[in-house]
Amino acid sequence: MSVLEYLMVLVKTLIYPGVIFVIILSLIYEWVDRKVYARMQNRIGPFYVGPSGFLQPFADFLKLLSKEDIVPPHVDYHVFTLSPIITLYLVLLAMFLIPTGAWNEPYAILAFEGDYILALALTTFITIFSFFAGWSSVNRFGVIGAMRALYQMISYEISMFLCAAAVALDTRTLCLSRMAEVQASGLWYILLHPLGFVVFILSMQAELDKVPFDTPEAKTEIVGGWLTEISGKKLAFFRLASDIKLFFCASLATTLYLAGPWGPLGPNILWFLAKVTFVIILVTTLRAAFARFRIDQVLAVFWKYAIPLSLVQVLIALFIPH
Amino acid sequence: MKLSLFEIPLGPQHPALKEPIRFIFKLDGEIVVGAEPRLGYVHRGVEKLAETRTFIQDVYLAERICGICSAAHTTCFVQAVEELLGIEPPPRAKYIRLIVFELNRIQSHLLWLGILAYEMGFDTLFMYIWRDRERVLDVLEMITGNRVLYAINQIGGVRHDIDDKIAAYMRKALSYLRERTKYYKGIVERDPTINARAVEVGILKKRDAIALCAVGPTTRGSGVKFDIRADDPYAALDEVPFNVVVYDTEDVMARTLVRIDEILESISMIEYALDHMPSGDIRVRVPRVVPAGEAVSRVEAPRGELVYYVRSAGGEKPERVKVRTPTLANIPALCKMLEGAYVADIPVIVASIDPCLACMDRAIFVDVSKEKVWVWSERELRRYSLRWYRSREGVRRR
Repeated sequence: MSVLEYLMVLVKTLIYPGVIFVIILSLIYEWVDRKVYARMQNRIGPFYVGPSGFLQPFADFLKLLSKEDIVPPHVDYHVFTLSPIITLYLVLLAMFLIPTGAWNEPYAILAFEGDYILALALTTFITIFSFFAGWSSVNRFGVIGAMRALYQMISYEISMFLCAAAVALDTRTLCLSRMAEVQASGLWYILLHPLGFVVFILSMQAELDKVPFDTPEAKTEIVGGWLTEISGKKLAFFRLASDIKLFFCASLATTLYLAGPWGPLGPNILWFLAKVTFVIILVTTLRAAFARFRIDQVLAVFWKYAIPLSLVQVLIALFIPH
Repeated sequence: MKLSLFEIPLGPQHPALKEPIRFIFKLDGEIVVGAEPRLGYVHRGVEKLAETRTFIQDVYLAERICGICSAAHTTCFVQAVEELLGIEPPPRAKYIRLIVFELNRIQSHLLWLGILAYEMGFDTLFMYIWRDRERVLDVLEMITGNRVLYAINQIGGVRHDIDDKIAAYMRKALSYLRERTKYYKGIVERDPTINARAVEVGILKKRDAIALCAVGPTTRGSGVKFDIRADDPYAALDEVPFNVVVYDTEDVMARTLVRIDEILESISMIEYALDHMPSGDIRVRVPRVVPAGEAVSRVEAPRGELVYYVRSAGGEKPERVKVRTPTLANIPALCKMLEGAYVADIPVIVASIDPCLACMDRAIFVDVSKEKVWVWSERELRRYSLRWYRSREGVRRR
């Protein structure tokens, strides 16, 4: 490998479409989410920092970084302080698996047969680390929020993974980039697996702790849930991680159901971003249109409806001719 | 095996509480097995303060007991004093009192409905309802000059008249509100997430509601037909027809629907009152000195029965004023509702009685270990608090 190639790998992982690109874009998507949410509620939303307030998430992030970082007595110090860093690392790693179409390349930075399994495993780990953060804070609200996060996880992940499995069955591959490529030559899976797409978006809503499934951090019930004791830099990291998680989940849905970066003229980042924006606006709309479920009701929604429906989707996928 | 119970505190500061109160909940998993309230964080010594001011000043003091039901407090106090004086306000004044009172009820119920949506995590509905509530506040501002503390009632009548221009504006705002309220009623009845959070949540059985002396929409949601407006009409209520709204499903949904229907009732009442308002004076002159005696007055505030007791020794100042606000009457019923509820339902259930905590706080001290009960005046309490702080924290008097 020449020096130039090494340099290229560095640029790809650190700048574009790697770490810096992902962070900036996630913060911009947070602004999109907040703005659309506000407009749906007949409010203005952020408007002060930057044009139409689009720098507001950046300002919030910097402000949180400068805030006092409190570690309460009796917390499990190492778990408590490391979990935000690990969460941030995990979501960034997950983003490397997504084919973004940057440099007009069809494959992600990290693309190999089986990266699909790694991506799904990472989403589980992210939730488990939010549980660790809540549990190690020994706050009563934190512990309840952490338990709720786990309860919720054993319901939505099953339906989410089953839907993703249906796509894998159909495309006959375990590589996310290949999955997008297969769709580009045929029909998009939103058309072939409409049921799977709906259930996937629903499960994503729970994965992202958004209304109606935001029970782990329901602020009117348990203050901040697992986030109650998190402050300062740790909170900044967790918020950034949740923004990237939103970007990641929307990208995953885009890859599985909307042919990822593929458009009429081959893979392109603009196609990818347009589709991700569509998914994020969809999530925001759902979030604005519902009230919060109770934890037992969340489990009922997934076990009674979402999981059976995703099983049906798997069955259908088995019988779709190739 | 005996499982230990988990205790979680709620308050005095908590995102679900707009005012400080503290509950200690004993939990078995996610289920509440016991609730223990502690009141008194916002005691302001209003009753004692009322004794040091004249009757005329006390009207404005009473208004400040609660910002949300300010019309209820002044109407109630003024009626008690008028009874002591043995005077009757002019009929037009009674109608204006009724109109402002019912407008006050509409804005209070809309505010509450928004808060309920917020407690359920339904922020969109919250924003929409509060936007529409602004229309009622505009009308109130047009009549009285103020959005929250109206200062419309005075002893012997009201301060402002309602002319044709205001009446026309009011009718327009009311028909808009009627439409919106019906729309919100449809949402509350049909939305699956609201139904999941409100139906069969926070059950208060009819016999419990009666036994625990619940008042207002809380008791009407449990099927008890108890409304001071019908049972003991005041202002112009004996001339304005209306229905007492009662639902009998005994849950949060019933209390919600009671309030929504009451908004619609109030709108019709105001429209009827505007049509049938007699002309004439809006106030009579009254002497400053109130003859000795005592009077009790009660009104149906947005949250339920509000009682004022006023005693005069024959001077410019009352000898004793006692207020019993509806929230205080509903606290025992609230604790009953919370037993057996889920943690996630606590905010919705607490909100369902529409608590107004600052109104109800009293300085009655109970020392359980010595079985002693005493009442402190504002000055004694202040002296005690200063002593307490000086001995503990080293905080000095200025």
